[in-house]
Amino acid sequence: MVKKSNGDGLYEVIWPRGERKQALRPLAKRLDTLEGKTVAQLWDYLFAGDEVFATLEETLRAQYPGIKFVSWREFGSTHAVNEKELLASLPQRFKELGVDAAISSMAC
Amino acid sequence: MGQAAATSVGLGMPNMPVALIPGHPGSQSLQELRANVRNVTAAHVIENLLQQPTEHQLEPEPSARDIVFRGTFEEVNAHFYEREWSDGLPIVPPTLEKIEEFLKFTDRAPEESLGILLPENRAATIRAVAANGVMAGCRPEYMPILVALIEAMADPTYGVEHSGNTPGSDTLIVLNGPIIKDLKFNYTQGVLREGFIANTSVGRFWRLALRNMAGFLPHKNDKATFGNTFRVVLAENEDALAKIGWPPNSVDMGFSAGDNTVTISRMTGGGVMPSVTGSTPEQMLPYLADGVAKQTGWEMVFTVGGLSFGTLRPVLVLSPILAETIARAGWSKRDVKRYLYEHARTPAWRVEAFTEKWLDFRIGSLERQVNLGRLPKAFHESNDPNRLVPIVLDPEDFVVLVSGDPLRTNAYAFAQNGYLGFPVAKRIRLPKGWAQRVDRPGR
Repeated sequence: MVKKSNGDGLYEVIWPRGERKQALRPLAKRLDTLEGKTVAQLWDYLFAGDEVFATLEETLRAQYPGIKFVSWREFGSTHAVNEKELLASLPQRFKELGVDAAISSMAC
Repeated sequence: MGQAAATSVGLGMPNMPVALIPGHPGSQSLQELRANVRNVTAAHVIENLLQQPTEHQLEPEPSARDIVFRGTFEEVNAHFYEREWSDGLPIVPPTLEKIEEFLKFTDRAPEESLGILLPENRAATIRAVAANGVMAGCRPEYMPILVALIEAMADPTYGVEHSGNTPGSDTLIVLNGPIIKDLKFNYTQGVLREGFIANTSVGRFWRLALRNMAGFLPHKNDKATFGNTFRVVLAENEDALAKIGWPPNSVDMGFSAGDNTVTISRMTGGGVMPSVTGSTPEQMLPYLADGVAKQTGWEMVFTVGGLSFGTLRPVLVLSPILAETIARAGWSKRDVKRYLYEHARTPAWRVEAFTEKWLDFRIGSLERQVNLGRLPKAFHESNDPNRLVPIVLDPEDFVVLVSGDPLRTNAYAFAQNGYLGFPVAKRIRLPKGWAQRVDRPGR
């Protein structure tokens, strides 16, 4: 039987979790328009993301004819055995490709 | 959406905007999916790219030794359950005094971190290990095992961040070494059945640690479509292994015979092969190979490139009498693995159905992957769709364990989750004076 913390029959218990080590990270500044901007597509190769991105491209282009896309094909799957390395490489890859924003898909 | 919201907190971005696709893409026709993306998702995406999300603050959290609640046994349990710190079974209240008893069974400092656990990016402290061990009903002397388990959980090779994936796989913990007897783990009949405090409470600890230390909660980060209850610890029968001269699993994992180790690996499912009949390996192994091959279905995507190449590690558990009968014919464990490689096979058409039709893990074809040099020739020795292909890339990818009822001719096969819970083993480090502090048999 667990020894009670004191003699009054009550248990004084601690929190069973570990310290959160990830501080808040500010999100990137949003764009003022998508016109003329370059948007990267990141895909985990699941759940028809290729079709989703194709339809998104078509729909966004109708509203912003000057928008440019960097295809998910450029990056490879974000849900594969090398996913950690791939994600770590993205900041540099985005710089090289002149990426202004990114859409990451498909969660489930 | 709930998963994205929960995960973004752990990543330090609780205000990360998410665009919605109504329903699930996998159950929609192409026309329905396109209409949903055009009519719903696109507007969300545009808004998310143009509208700055409001800043969020994270709620302050207690410090490691803060008393967060004071109450009766029932009140403590209600408090923990309401805050999702409990699995629904009664927990032992984690008082400082009780935790102190556990800390005496490790030489490590209470605030030492064994690593950072995703998805909540939390420090895996020794004190949190002890707290969850207390809650699970473990005995203080199990602490060295609990520490080794969390070291394994924090190892990036294992990939704890995948523990909430929708197939709902659960970890198999394999225990090796003299500690099995030191702590009275069951390694014989009913080895995977609850009813033995060591096997059961350590298995429960694992899931409580996933919940509290890593942050996997049902309806949030734990997206298991069905899931299942935790597995109790499988301790190998090292007496049976020594008798037949086969190495224990710890040796297969790179340690020495006699080392105390834990090995973790995520299993998608499993099934028994009862009443294996025969007095020679040639008579017994066809049934076992068939059982091993049948367990592995969609998991082939971890072998042939759908999600990875060659990360599948299927498991065959032999009862001692089966292992002894096989060994009596001069077969080594390596021979068994070689036999499984050559005979635990599946039709090529079935593999390509998984990758190209039934799932969305496309590889083109096995022929294409062989031609690209990504798969060995064994995967395309002819164009016959009924040809049988291996389920792993190398015989040593099979894991063979010995445990269970010593005199039952039954075996068990587990299907494994590839790199989304890849096998990782850790040495169990015992505190000073261990032998004097446990009731070692024969002492």
